[in-house]
Amino acid sequence: MLRKKMLRDLKENKGTYLACIVVMILGIMVFTAFSLVVDNLKISQKSFYTEQNFADGFAQVEALPFSAIGNLQNIKGIKQIEGRIVKDVQVYAPQSQENIYLRLVSMDPSKENRLNDFLLEKGTPLSNKAMNIWVDNKFFEAQNLKLNDKLEIIANGKIRELKVVGFGKSPEFIYALRTTADLYPSPETFGIAFVPIEIMEKIFVTGVYNDLVFSLEPGVDFEDIEDTLEYKLKPYGLRSLIPRKDQVSHSLLEMEITSLETMARVMPVMFLGIAAMILYITLKRLIEQQRGQIGILKAFGYTRGEILSHYLSYPLVIALSSSFIGGILGIILAGPFTSMYRLFFNMPEAPDNFSILYLILGIVLSLTFALGAGYQGCKNILKLEPAQALRPPSPPSGRRILLERIPFFWNMLTVQGMMAVRNISRNKGRSFFIFVGIMFCFAITAFTWSMNDLIQKMLFDQYEKVEVYDLKISLSQSVDAKAVSRELSSFPGVNRAEPMAEIPVTLKNKWLEKDVVILGLPPNSHLYNILDAEGNSVELPDKGILLSERLASLLNASLGTKLNVDTPLIEDWDSTKQVEVRGIIPQYVGINAYMNINALQEFLKAGPLATSFMLTTEKERVIPLKEKYRESALVASIEAKEESFKKLQELMASYGSFIYIYALIGVIIGFAIIYSSSVITVSERSRELASMMVLGMTPAEVLSVATFEQWFLGLGAMIAGIPMSKLMLTGIAQAIESDIFSMPVVISPTSYLLALIITAISIWLAQQAAAGKIKKLSLVEVLKERE
Amino acid sequence: METIMVAKNLTKTYQMGEVKVEALKEASFELYKGELVVVLGPSGSGKSTLLNIIGGMDQATSGELYYLNKPLHTANSKELTLYRRHDVGFVFQFYNLMPNLTAYENINLAAQIAKDPLPIKELLEKVGLANRADHFPSQLSGGEQQRIALARALAKNPQIMLCDEPTGALDFTTSIQVLKLLKDFSTSYGKTVVVITHNTAIAQIADRIFYLKDGRLVKIEHNPNPLPPEKVTW
Repeated sequence: MLRKKMLRDLKENKGTYLACIVVMILGIMVFTAFSLVVDNLKISQKSFYTEQNFADGFAQVEALPFSAIGNLQNIKGIKQIEGRIVKDVQVYAPQSQENIYLRLVSMDPSKENRLNDFLLEKGTPLSNKAMNIWVDNKFFEAQNLKLNDKLEIIANGKIRELKVVGFGKSPEFIYALRTTADLYPSPETFGIAFVPIEIMEKIFVTGVYNDLVFSLEPGVDFEDIEDTLEYKLKPYGLRSLIPRKDQVSHSLLEMEITSLETMARVMPVMFLGIAAMILYITLKRLIEQQRGQIGILKAFGYTRGEILSHYLSYPLVIALSSSFIGGILGIILAGPFTSMYRLFFNMPEAPDNFSILYLILGIVLSLTFALGAGYQGCKNILKLEPAQALRPPSPPSGRRILLERIPFFWNMLTVQGMMAVRNISRNKGRSFFIFVGIMFCFAITAFTWSMNDLIQKMLFDQYEKVEVYDLKISLSQSVDAKAVSRELSSFPGVNRAEPMAEIPVTLKNKWLEKDVVILGLPPNSHLYNILDAEGNSVELPDKGILLSERLASLLNASLGTKLNVDTPLIEDWDSTKQVEVRGIIPQYVGINAYMNINALQEFLKAGPLATSFMLTTEKERVIPLKEKYRESALVASIEAKEESFKKLQELMASYGSFIYIYALIGVIIGFAIIYSSSVITVSERSRELASMMVLGMTPAEVLSVATFEQWFLGLGAMIAGIPMSKLMLTGIAQAIESDIFSMPVVISPTSYLLALIITAISIWLAQQAAAGKIKKLSLVEVLKERE
Repeated sequence: METIMVAKNLTKTYQMGEVKVEALKEASFELYKGELVVVLGPSGSGKSTLLNIIGGMDQATSGELYYLNKPLHTANSKELTLYRRHDVGFVFQFYNLMPNLTAYENINLAAQIAKDPLPIKELLEKVGLANRADHFPSQLSGGEQQRIALARALAKNPQIMLCDEPTGALDFTTSIQVLKLLKDFSTSYGKTVVVITHNTAIAQIADRIFYLKDGRLVKIEHNPNPLPPEKVTW
C-alpha cells in the first residue's frame, strides 16, 4: 500500500524530482564516464610502457662516441642504456604549402629488447642495409602513405629517399610534439621515423650519439644516478638530463589523466551535492505536508522504522533509477570519450574495460548522498507522537529582520518586497541552498567563459601582438647575424628581416636552477614585441635579462637578482658568469628569458651570432622563399605564421564546444535549484499566495513575492560568485601550470556580464515554470481548509 | 434602493470523480447598495459556492451574474482579478493573514493595490487595534487577527464585502465586535455586506436573509427591523 502512496506522491511532485534525477544522472554519468576513461588510458599506458620497455630517463648530448656507451652501462643502478642519433629533418614536398618535419630516431635492428621499442602495427622489419624506415601511424595516415612508398627528406643539404616499410606506435611519442611551443600533435606537419642506426650514420656522416635513453634497476630512483650520470656525460656536452616524469609526451599524458581524475571526483560531488539539497528540501516539505497522514499511520500502529523507511523509499527510488541511468549513460559515453582522447594520445587500444565496479560505485555514491539527504529531511517525523502529528504545526511566526534597521532600504520596498525579504530568514536552510546554487551557477559560467576568453586571448595575442612576423626561419647552427640578415633582406619581397638568437641555458639562483631558452632579440624589434600584463610594449634593457613570471618564481628571482648562466652551446664556458634580472614579464605559452641580442652576444662572447630570423614578406613571395631555402643544410625549418594561426583557430573552435557544455551545466544547476525551491515555496505558502490572489493581486504580482526573494538572494549570491569564480580559476591555473602553459588569474568583465545574463536567464526560466503552479492554485480549496 | 448585483439562475456543478455534484441550483437574486445580507444554511447547502461566485473566485456553470451591469459570468480571469482587486473585500473564518507582515503591513498590502484606499491608521483605530499596528499575526489573538483581516478587506474600500463564517472561530464577545464593524460598514459607508453563517442568531442583524438548502435558494426574507449587533445573543 505504502508503495503505491510513494509512487503517487512522486508523480505529484514530478517536476522537482525530475530536476533532482537529471542532476543526479549528470553526476553519476560524469563519474562513470570519466573514471572509465581514466582507467582505459591508464591501462593502455601501463601495458604499452611495459611491453615497449619505456625508458626511465632521457639525456641529450653534443656527441658521445659509440664506444662510450659500455662505460655508462656500468653505472650502478642503471639497468639498460642505449645511445641514439636523433635528428629533425624536413620532408621534401615541393607541392605542399606547409613544411613537413620528420624526427629521425635511430634504432638498432639487430638488437633484442630495445628501450622505447617501436610497436610495429604493419610492415616488415628494418634492415641495416637498406634506406628503409618505420613511421608513426598518425603520420602515415595523415600523409596518405602506403607501405613501400618513398619519402624524400632533406638531410645535411641533400635530398635522400627513404622507403616506408612499416608503421606503428612508440611509447616515447604518445603525444608527439615537435617543440614544446606546439600545443597539440599535428601529424600533417610532424611525424616520427625510426631509422636503422647504420643508415642514420650514413645520412648524417656521424660516428657519435646525440641522445641517450636508459632504464633503472628496480628500486633505484632517477635522483640516485643523476649526479653520477651528469658527471660522466659532462665531457660529451650534456644538454639535458631528465627523468621520465619530465619527458614531454609522458608528462602531458599524465597531466591529462590527472585532470580527468580530478574531474571524475569533483564534478560528481558537486552534482550529487546539489541533487541532495533538492531532495532534502523537497522531502522536508513533503513530511510537513503529510504530518496528518503520518499521525494516522502512527495511530494505526505503524512503527517509526516502517514510516521512516517509507519516506526513505523516495530517495531510494530516485537514487537507484538515476544512478542506473547515469551509470549506463556513462558506460556508453566512456567509449567515444576514450576514442576522442586516443585522437590526441597515440596508444595501442587496450580493450576498453567494461567494469561493473563503477556502476556499483555510482549506485553507492548516489545512495549515500540521497539517503543522507533523505534522512536529514525525514528525521523529524521520528520525534512526533501520533496525537501531536495529527495536530497542525504551530503557525509560522513573523519576525523583524536586521535589514529593517536600514530605513532608506526598507522604505523603498513595497509590502510584497517586505514579505519577500522577511521570507529569506523564514527558511534559512532553503535560502542558503538557493544562495549556494546561484553562486555556483554564476561562478561556473563566469569561470568557464573567462577561461575560454583567456586561452583565446593568450594564444591569439601571441600571434597577433607578440610575434608579428610572417615567416620564421630557424637555422640548424648559429650564423653571423649581419651577413644572413643582409642576404635575407635582399630576397625580393622581403620587407624586413630581424635576427634572433635562441640560446639554451641553465639559469641558476643559489640551489634553484632551470633549463630554458634565452631569446636574444634586436632592440626596438618590429617583429617581436615583449608585452607587460597590460599589453604595453616592454623595451629590452641594454644589459641584463628579462624573465617570464613563472621562470622568476621557479628561480625565486626578483628585480636585481643575479643569476648564474651555464650553456652547453659554448665550449670552455665560465659557469660563474652572472646576469642581472632587469624585468619580469608575463608569458603564458612556454617559459623563456629575454635579452637584447647585442647584450647576449657580448655576454656569450661568441660574436654576432643568430640562430633564426624573423621576416615580413609579401604574401606571394612566401613560396619562392621557402623553395629557395628549404634545401639548405643551414635551414632547419621555415615556419609561416599564418598556417600555425589557422590551425590554432581550428583547435579553438572545437575547444569552444566544451565551453558551451559547461555553460549548459551551469544553466541546468541554476534551473534545477530555482525551479525546485520555487515549487516548494508555492506549495508551502499556497495559503498566503491564495490570500493575495483573493485580495485581487494578479498571478504575476503574487509570483513577484517569491521571485523578489530569489532575485534578492540571487544578487548576493552572484556577488559572492565573483570571488568564488576567481578561486576556481586560481585552482585550475595552478593545476595546469607547467613549463608549456601558464594562465593568468584574471576574469574579464565580459565574463561576469555573461555569467550574470546566463544565471539570470536560468533563474527567470525556472520562475516561469513555477508560475504555472501559482496559476493552478485553487483559491476556493486552499483558503477553505485549515492548514 | 440601488441594485449593484443581479443573479439569474446561477448553477454550479462539480465533477467529483464519477459523480456530478450540483452545489448550486438556479439561484436568482439581487443585492442592493448599503444592505447587510446574511446567508443561512447547513453545511453543504451551497453557501460558500454562492459566496465564491459572487466574489469572483469561481464562476457558475450556467446562469448570469451582473455587477453594476457588467457580466461576471463571461469575464476572463484577468477581468475577475480586477473585479476582486477593486470591488470586493473578503473575510474568512481562518483570517488568512500574511504571517510575516505586521498588522499595519497586512492592511497596507491590500491598500497599495486599491484605487481609492481608506486610510490605514483610521481603520486600525476603527477596529480598536491602533496600539497593535506593529505586531505580527502570531502575536495577536484570534479576535484581533480577525479584526485585522476585516480592516484589510475594508482598506480597499470595496463595494461588496464578503464574509465566510467570520465569527466561526471566535468567542461570543469577539464575535459581537466583528459583527458591529460589519454593520457599521454597511450603514455608515453605504457598502453591501454579505455574511454566510450557520449561526441563525446572526441573521437578526440582517436587512435580508437568504435561506439555502441542498444548493437551492429556498427563501429570501426581508427583515424590516434589524437588531443592533450588541443586542444579539446566542
